[in-house]
Amino acid sequence: MKMEDMSLSGLDNTKLEALAHDIYADLVEDACLGLCFEVHRAVKQGYFFLDETDQDSMKDFEIVDQPGVDIFGQVYNQWKNKECVCPNCNRSIAASRFAPHLEKCLGMGRNSSRIANRRIASSNNMSKSESDQEDNDDINDNDWSYGSEKKAKKRKSDKNPNSPRRSKSLKHKNGEHSNSVSSDPYKYAYNSGISYETLGPEELRSLLTTQCGVMSEHTKKMCTRSSLPDVDGVVENDGYDVPDGQALMSRLQWDGSSDISPSDSASSKASTNNSDSKKPKKKKKPSLGLNSGTCGGPGSGSCAAVGAGTTGSGGGGSSQGSLGLPSRKKKPKLPAPPTPSIYDDMN
Amino acid sequence: MHGNAMKRVNMSKESQMRAAINQKLIEMGERERLKELLRAKLIECGWKDQLKAHCKDVIREKGFEHVTVEDLVAEITPKGRALVPDSVKKELLQRIRAFLAQHSAL
Repeated sequence: MKMEDMSLSGLDNTKLEALAHDIYADLVEDACLGLCFEVHRAVKQGYFFLDETDQDSMKDFEIVDQPGVDIFGQVYNQWKNKECVCPNCNRSIAASRFAPHLEKCLGMGRNSSRIANRRIASSNNMSKSESDQEDNDDINDNDWSYGSEKKAKKRKSDKNPNSPRRSKSLKHKNGEHSNSVSSDPYKYAYNSGISYETLGPEELRSLLTTQCGVMSEHTKKMCTRSSLPDVDGVVENDGYDVPDGQALMSRLQWDGSSDISPSDSASSKASTNNSDSKKPKKKKKPSLGLNSGTCGGPGSGSCAAVGAGTTGSGGGGSSQGSLGLPSRKKKPKLPAPPTPSIYDDMN
Repeated sequence: MHGNAMKRVNMSKESQMRAAINQKLIEMGERERLKELLRAKLIECGWKDQLKAHCKDVIREKGFEHVTVEDLVAEITPKGRALVPDSVKKELLQRIRAFLAQHSAL
């Protein structure tokens, strides 16, 4: 179309092309002339040859183009593998590791204080009988410190046996006697001065008629609150006769691990089954949160353990009821089967 | 005779056209832009350094006290024209043609 259109402003394509070339030629000539003027002015002003010196200096500063060397001829990592002597510990350290080493060696720098604090905290933890879980949390909070140290700290804190949350596994920190229920499948250790398994039924009866006998989860000790002579009183064990003693024994053996949850239901049902009369007499039974209601004496906290084994009938109900809440957390861990067994025994 | 007259007319018409186009090129600032573009490209490709080295030779040859512009121009320009790389030439021509195509239709 362009070829045919002669009236395109009077110029056909060839002419346009020629015109383009002419314009281009003019532009190139302009560039050349510009350069000439520039050079001529530089020569006349005397700065044209300023970048040149004598031949010797020119050779010295010539551009270097060798591999492994920069443009000045210098080697890049010349000092990388050299070793420096630490002024503090007089050890020979590699140059690239020198600065971090100094930081640790002199005890300055951001990491050193953190690590030192960690060490102090963890050593405190180890020496304490019962540590707080928060200390371990603080230690574990430093995510960004040196990996090896962090792992070391974590391992330490992981192995900390004093944490109360470890109570689920077999821990014998109470240290009185070895645990009685090592064979306990539910991982609840019952340590006390007295082992329920080893006691005979007669001994048990005598024991439980005089003392509360509830095993504490935390301290694994038996509650030694003396029982009151009142038959209708708080002491639930009054209702235990010989047949109950057998039931008690079997329940005790099984209950080495049980938590309160079945005992809660057990207690409520037990009370209905066995001693309805005892129910109203239970003080503070509905108040689940009040441990002091039943085993308040020697340590209300200590009675917060599984009391299912010790409370056969409704007598145990209140103590169980009050103890229900704290040990309820262990509820999900316990499978259902224990529950029916109580009823079997009771019946 | 007619042919000659026609040629003259055509030529003048043609030269008129060319003059008009050139004028437009300048007025629209396109020429300046093209000039800057060319200069940048020549520096980039090393053309300027090459030519400067040649200048040094010429100056040393002529004696740098007495070198004149004319001397330089006479020596440098032909070499300069020849040393322009093909890529630069093509790009510039492309731009010029584009301009002509856009603006030649008055």
